[in-house]
Amino acid sequence: MLRVAIVGCGKIADSHGSQLRRISGCKIVGACDTEPLMAQQFCQRFAVEGYFSDLATLIRDTRPDVVHVTTPPKSHFEIAKFCLEHKCHVYVEKPFTLNEQEAQRLIAIANENKLKITAGHDDQFSHVARRMRTLVQNGFLGGAPVHMESYYCYEIGRSGYAGALLGDDSHWVRRLPGKLLHNIISHGIARIAEFLTSASPHVIAYGFTSPMLKRIGEKEIVDELRVIISEEERSTAYFTFSSQIRPLLHQFRVYGPNNGLILDQDQETLVKIRGDRFKSYAEKFLPPLIFAKQYLGNAKTNLRTFLKNDFHMKSGMKYLIESFYHSIREDTPPPIPYREILLTARIMDVIFAQLNTQQQIEAGIPMPISAASVGDAAQLTSACANAAFFTNSRLQN
Amino acid sequence: MEHTELKSSLIQPDDLILITGASGFIGSRLVQTLLDRGFRNLRCFVRASSKVARLKDLAGSNSGARIELLRGNLLSRLDCEHATTDVAVVYHLAAARGEKSVPDAFMNSVVTTRNLIEAALLQKNLRRFVNVSSFAVYTNRQKRRGKILDEACPIENEPQATGDAYCFAKVKQEEIVAEYGKKYGMPYVIVRPGYVYGPGNVGISGRVGIDLFGLFLHLGGSNPIPFTYVDNCAAAIALAGLKNGVDGEIFNVVDDDLPSSREFLRLFKKNVGPFASLYVPHILSYALCYLWERYSAWSEEQLAPVYNRKKWHAYWKQTRYSNEKVKASLGWTPTVSMAAGLGKYFQACRGTESNA
Repeated sequence: MLRVAIVGCGKIADSHGSQLRRISGCKIVGACDTEPLMAQQFCQRFAVEGYFSDLATLIRDTRPDVVHVTTPPKSHFEIAKFCLEHKCHVYVEKPFTLNEQEAQRLIAIANENKLKITAGHDDQFSHVARRMRTLVQNGFLGGAPVHMESYYCYEIGRSGYAGALLGDDSHWVRRLPGKLLHNIISHGIARIAEFLTSASPHVIAYGFTSPMLKRIGEKEIVDELRVIISEEERSTAYFTFSSQIRPLLHQFRVYGPNNGLILDQDQETLVKIRGDRFKSYAEKFLPPLIFAKQYLGNAKTNLRTFLKNDFHMKSGMKYLIESFYHSIREDTPPPIPYREILLTARIMDVIFAQLNTQQQIEAGIPMPISAASVGDAAQLTSACANAAFFTNSRLQN
Repeated sequence: MEHTELKSSLIQPDDLILITGASGFIGSRLVQTLLDRGFRNLRCFVRASSKVARLKDLAGSNSGARIELLRGNLLSRLDCEHATTDVAVVYHLAAARGEKSVPDAFMNSVVTTRNLIEAALLQKNLRRFVNVSSFAVYTNRQKRRGKILDEACPIENEPQATGDAYCFAKVKQEEIVAEYGKKYGMPYVIVRPGYVYGPGNVGISGRVGIDLFGLFLHLGGSNPIPFTYVDNCAAAIALAGLKNGVDGEIFNVVDDDLPSSREFLRLFKKNVGPFASLYVPHILSYALCYLWERYSAWSEEQLAPVYNRKKWHAYWKQTRYSNEKVKASLGWTPTVSMAAGLGKYFQACRGTESNA
């Protein structure tokens, strides 16, 4: 029986509590929050005996095997480090850390202590994401991905969380290096990172504050982001984050040398796009029928999964936790390769550095090269050129 | 304020009154009510993002009064200390509304209330802490159908099982107020309004029914709906902070002449506009809630337990409501009649419909 502790008793902790209840062979032995009332309410609702407001006391008194870190991102590194140093395996909610450097440190500490660590990229373990992975592994694409498109959108107008953020100049999200983006985009970036092989792909990012946010006086939060990611002469990817496009997509498209796949996270559909074309007019009539058949198949699969009582909204999280616990018990590799966690963090670092540069250029603030916190000179030059490109485009319009 | 009323008042017109959630639907009416009663020293606490045009209008039209607008966050103890400095009466209306997540609702109702109380207790002048709660705290389960729900009725002892974040947060909020009252002798009053309606809150109460993919399921049937018009409610809340000798009391606030759910729905359709609705008899709605509850438990919450027997008892079981205590103890009477209140409400609904 794995002894599990939860650190941070906000909204996402509820998802962990709900999924852990469904997993056999584990037990929540304690919950901790700097606000004792929050820890208390969690324990009351999830029938957990011990609630704490101090991490050291939680570890000492409950002796957990695994700690789930569900606090705001700024504290992920320190808490996870403390837990690893006290011989606990760690599941860290997304975003894994504030930057790649912290991610590297945590993974190094985990390795030194022969412990496991994982990131909360649970979307990659939903039913549909697993179906897609199986197809890719079985060679459906006909080779390595040539191009990917990842959409991760966010409804900023109706969210209570966004409402609190927009109305509060000192909200913790504003203090993250990538602000709102930092807290959200890792799911969409991780999807791309899974299929990249290079350790340092080129990244070109452009972001801006949408007119909708500007109208309500927001200047700081970037809620529209476009990113181009490329590996040397191999795979490329586009990443789109938007609060304004409709529908609000959570989609991943991957194209190989032979075929492609479209995954829709919201609808839990996976559609195969065949690379071959039919002859003449057959191309106009047959593909729509094939697509219709595939969508019907997706509906059947989803219904069957629902009837089998395995279609919970956070089923990906359950699968990820189970896989992580399996890797702990059997001492097998963790479900998310460390390379992928680091690459996700690295891409995010470069995106935020470029946005920062872009904002400074647009604001007319002189920026010495040495001020670039992340990325090499080539990336910085690329960022500046990119910002200039978009500025020029707007001027021409 | 009348001389006799002033004599029986807990505080004087220049004593400082704090209103949290002052820019909200009820809060702004409470500010108006207190000004109308002659109180001249009000501190209105609002979130950084709150719209305060109405409060500014009130300040502009009451030049003899000092209306301080204080922006902040009740999760900040420092903000709570600023808010409660020198206050005589606290009207605590700020709370999480419409939150589906229990932790968010809890944090914005319970943690905030604890912070505010602890800051208020540092004040020597505190005469009363008025906590505005809700009918959502009542269990209503043991009571037989058609019986009266009043302040003596038990509150939900398993709020986590209701599937309602608001209920959980409000029950816990009341617990913490009572706990501090008992432990530190804090003078408090709890006000539990029914469904507060009026211009500014134009939705249809869930006690009447729910929208199902465009079809309105009418669940209330012949049940009286515990309406209280926003101005009437604000008046009752104001009195709860001013009346001597009611410390530790709880007051339910509902208006007179409550319409049945069926009657309300008919009037709504007639005055605002027709829409498709389907009446679901009580026995059927109970059975559906029971099945939903069982399925939710069996499926390990593949469907969240948002409908269950506890909710049915609280929302859709036939119940009558009493406002005798609030009338007798606080001397409150609803000044806006049900007919007049509904008239204003329907007018506001029509405006919303035409804007949509």
